[in-house]
Amino acid sequence: MKLLEGLAIIAAMSVPFFAIKSHDMSVYLYWTAVTTAYLIYITIKRW
Amino acid sequence: MNVFLYAFAGYVVLGTVIALMAMKGLKTQEEYYIAGRRVSGVVSALTYAATTYSAFMMVGLVGLSYAGGVGALGFELFYLVGTLLLLSYYAPKVWEMAREKGYITPGDMIAERYGREVAVVMSLLASVALIPYISAQLIGVGLILDKTSAMSFSYGIAASAILIALWAFLGGLRGVAWTDAVQGVFMLLMATAAIFWVHNNGFAEKDFFAEVTRLGELLVVPNSFWTPLKFISLTLPWFFFALTNPQVFQRLYIPKDRTSLRRMVVLFGFFGLVYTVIVTLIGLELRTMTEMGTFPRVGDRDAVTPTLLSLMPPVLGAAVSLSIFAAAITTANSIVLTLSSMISRDLFGSERVGTGRLLIVLLTLAVTFFAYSRPNYIVELSVLSSTILLAQLPLILGVFHFKGGAKFTGISTLIAGFATAIILSFAKLSPLGIPASIWTFIVSFTVFFAASRFDR
Repeated sequence: MKLLEGLAIIAAMSVPFFAIKSHDMSVYLYWTAVTTAYLIYITIKRW
Repeated sequence: MNVFLYAFAGYVVLGTVIALMAMKGLKTQEEYYIAGRRVSGVVSALTYAATTYSAFMMVGLVGLSYAGGVGALGFELFYLVGTLLLLSYYAPKVWEMAREKGYITPGDMIAERYGREVAVVMSLLASVALIPYISAQLIGVGLILDKTSAMSFSYGIAASAILIALWAFLGGLRGVAWTDAVQGVFMLLMATAAIFWVHNNGFAEKDFFAEVTRLGELLVVPNSFWTPLKFISLTLPWFFFALTNPQVFQRLYIPKDRTSLRRMVVLFGFFGLVYTVIVTLIGLELRTMTEMGTFPRVGDRDAVTPTLLSLMPPVLGAAVSLSIFAAAITTANSIVLTLSSMISRDLFGSERVGTGRLLIVLLTLAVTFFAYSRPNYIVELSVLSSTILLAQLPLILGVFHFKGGAKFTGISTLIAGFATAIILSFAKLSPLGIPASIWTFIVSFTVFFAASRFDR
């Protein structure tokens, strides 16, 4: 389960290398949003 | 006396008073090195953050964002999500084991699983990796203070060394954690002040989101700076930083209860996210201003922050310089304290607090000597520190996931990983085009699994 979570977060963080190519702040905002979402997930979930 | 020196004097007095207040009852190693396992979640989070985030953030990462663009944010946030992932799984297990079995150093866990000799080798490996790293921090801070006319290079190194030794010597981990907590808040506040100043000066009448498009390929990855291989080779050792760096691993022992441990991880995550976003935004805004012609073009990326400081109003420049100094001190004294615990306990088998205090002084002298003499190999070794420490990863993961392996496995894994990192880096070799950090990772795990088949 944790391995799956690890693969999912690495895949999500790798998206800009393949899919975001616009010359604006999209990559910056995307990475910030993914990290924020993961941090909220860590805050809420039981561990 | 310049503005920086007034601020610096206040900083020294405040930190020393805090360290003196933390001195009470430091009679055992458990009290001295891990504050009796009674640290609150908030203080644990702030000391974890201040220990992790060194002067590299406001100097190296600002420059990296300026020179290479948005990839610097990705590199740092990969580290952060990796740390959250690892800590949310391993931190409760490590904390519980440490409490049950009385671990004080990271080596205690390794010694119990693989044998005391392995912890001895690990303490030597950590020293080789981290002493040059601390020296490089001091050199960097000394150069910044010198360039901004706050303090000469020699005085900067000497002042750093005295504070590193003094606060750790007096208050042990409690003193370091309390001073870290105050300094961590100060670092975050000054980074916020810096981004406000940069934004107001560069984009009061312009739309940053419109102007930033001037940066072109710097806003995507991969680009000519951040190739995929470069990104992976830098990110891999940092992804596992929470497990491989003894100064942060030892902090998993200190929270007073499970709630505090959880609070430490979560609050550290928020601190790291905010700090990283601010610091990389400073770099991107300054680069955009360069393209707009409102900030000088800086060729050497490590000179971006000193250039910024020289343009700020003196009071703000002094405060931000002091926050960079604080970032270096908080990282350096935490490492010195952890190394002193590993050398005195794991290497010499000493149970005495006095041995640790003597080692703090000796380690600080060694760091200062390296910083003053500035041998060529010091930069290579400091850059290599996280790669060298990667050699420990199979042993640490093996404690939780693998039953095989003992003394031979432990020692051969550490030596093979260390040798791979050193030989490839110093010979500047990248067999099959793969960089040293990835080879160190592959070789360490291969040797670990191969050796554990013969080692029961």
